[in-house]
Amino acid sequence: MALFTFREAWRKKVVIVVGVLTLGFLVLYGTGLHFIGENLNWQANSLEYMQGILVFVLGVYFAGFLVAGLSIMSAVGSISGEIENGTIPTLATRPLSRSSLLLGKFAGQAAVLVTYAAFFFLALAGLLYWQVGMMIPGLLPALGLFVLEPVVLLAVAMLGTTRLPTMGNGILAFALYALAVVGGMIEQIGALLDSTSAVYAGVITSLLLPTDSLYRRLVAEIVEKVPASPHMGFVNPQHFLGPFGSLSTPSDWMIVYTVVYIVLALAAAVYLFNRRDI
Amino acid sequence: MAIVETRNLTKIYGRQIACREICLSVEEGQIFGLLGPNGAGKTTLVKMLVGLVYPTQGEALVAGRRPWDSRGRREIGFLPENFRLHEWLKGEELLVFHGRLAGLKEKEARRRARQVLELVGLDKDGGKMVAHYSKGMQQRLGLAAALVGNPRVIFLDEPTSALDPLGRRQVRELLGALKQEGKTIFLNSHLLSEVEQVCDRVAIIHQGRVLAQGSLKELIMGPTEVKARVGGLKPELEENLRRRYPSLRAEGSHLTVALNSKEEIPHLVAYLVAEGLRIYEITPRQNSLEEVFVKLVGEGEKLECG
Repeated sequence: MALFTFREAWRKKVVIVVGVLTLGFLVLYGTGLHFIGENLNWQANSLEYMQGILVFVLGVYFAGFLVAGLSIMSAVGSISGEIENGTIPTLATRPLSRSSLLLGKFAGQAAVLVTYAAFFFLALAGLLYWQVGMMIPGLLPALGLFVLEPVVLLAVAMLGTTRLPTMGNGILAFALYALAVVGGMIEQIGALLDSTSAVYAGVITSLLLPTDSLYRRLVAEIVEKVPASPHMGFVNPQHFLGPFGSLSTPSDWMIVYTVVYIVLALAAAVYLFNRRDI
Repeated sequence: MAIVETRNLTKIYGRQIACREICLSVEEGQIFGLLGPNGAGKTTLVKMLVGLVYPTQGEALVAGRRPWDSRGRREIGFLPENFRLHEWLKGEELLVFHGRLAGLKEKEARRRARQVLELVGLDKDGGKMVAHYSKGMQQRLGLAAALVGNPRVIFLDEPTSALDPLGRRQVRELLGALKQEGKTIFLNSHLLSEVEQVCDRVAIIHQGRVLAQGSLKELIMGPTEVKARVGGLKPELEENLRRRYPSLRAEGSHLTVALNSKEEIPHLVAYLVAEGLRIYEITPRQNSLEEVFVKLVGEGEKLECG
């Protein structure tokens, strides 16, 4: 099914369009890094080291938008789109259960998206190393968290596509994602300003869609491994990253919650699809 | 042995009854026609039989299994009405994909794909993208997809709707060939002539209810009309005849008589001869399926489950 999904993406020119967009993003980012790198004395000054980290997490933050957009677009019509255009009856009458059909599609899309997200993340880290010479600490755990973001979105879109029309599902998925992004920003600004209510607002949006919390935990994984420096004094290094940092860091339980969230979303999708008339 | 069997199969959408207590039985190796006007419930019934729609009540068995049991679907092929195929695949790729989903190994799926492409007359077009197929070619490719898993029962929902007369004829020939192979075909159609030409048994469905089912012969038997050209007809003789056959009409030397069945024709002839008439010609008029269909749909009486 993964091969089938990739072939579909290739034939529908999705791979080329996404490839060109990603390349454009990387070229722009790499150009920025080139000029920033000329003035960034990260080895001698830990404050400038943190600025290098900021440039990287900014790249990751906006790359997350592209990955999220691709995840939602590729999954919103997985079932509803096939019902709307009349391609599903010939598939759903084959000797495979509806759960196999749905989970097969999920697995295929997840394989493609995780590969794409991993490539994107490593390309950003590679560009930083190439242009600035900085090696990102905690790269592997951060990578693991980054590739989990499209899986969360995919699971939500899969749940929606079993019941909602493609258009409605797309709007819902994008709205949830926007809510999570805004909630995450509010949470971090709330943490900077010591506003518990603002932090709680962010926690609630993260419970609704735990994509931003994955990003915040990713940032925490990197910053926690930044070497200690006397330049920092008693200042939390997260302060240097502002709203793109992780001053309010999601706990290990949030990661567990995210995994359970994915499993439950898929279980609900299977439940609904199994009971749906086509 | 019945390969498709339903008992009181009912589907209700909100307040609308799509199918009502449908009882059908299709023997293996038959071409069974489900005939009904648009919106009669044919597609809902077929969708229940292939496991796409869950019945509100009642039972169905296809090849010994309930249709929503995915294991039983190895035995069925389905060509839906108004279907679309994955247009970004090539014809042969699509069939291999469907063959794999039907449980065939890669090599076997490739062999079957080429075989069914040839069967539907698309053997030279397997390398083309489905998007470049004409509507008729897509219909034939859909039929090939239904056959690729080598199923025992093939459900075809309006299989000739997109075809020109030549294409329709090819499909009819193909159905005949499949029957020769022992396949059971469940044909959903609103085209009377199509059903009349290929089906062994027919069920007529209207407003979600089965009005009649049986062999074509059984359905078109029943009241018949006989025309006779006679000599020697006199007014008093005509009165005698009318007393025995109240429906008799006489126009010159032509008599028209309504009989309850064709079995009464020899008795009529014997009576006319006994009354001294000379018979030059006797023409029993055959009921057509169309007449039966129009009559049943007009009456709308439901057939109870046996």
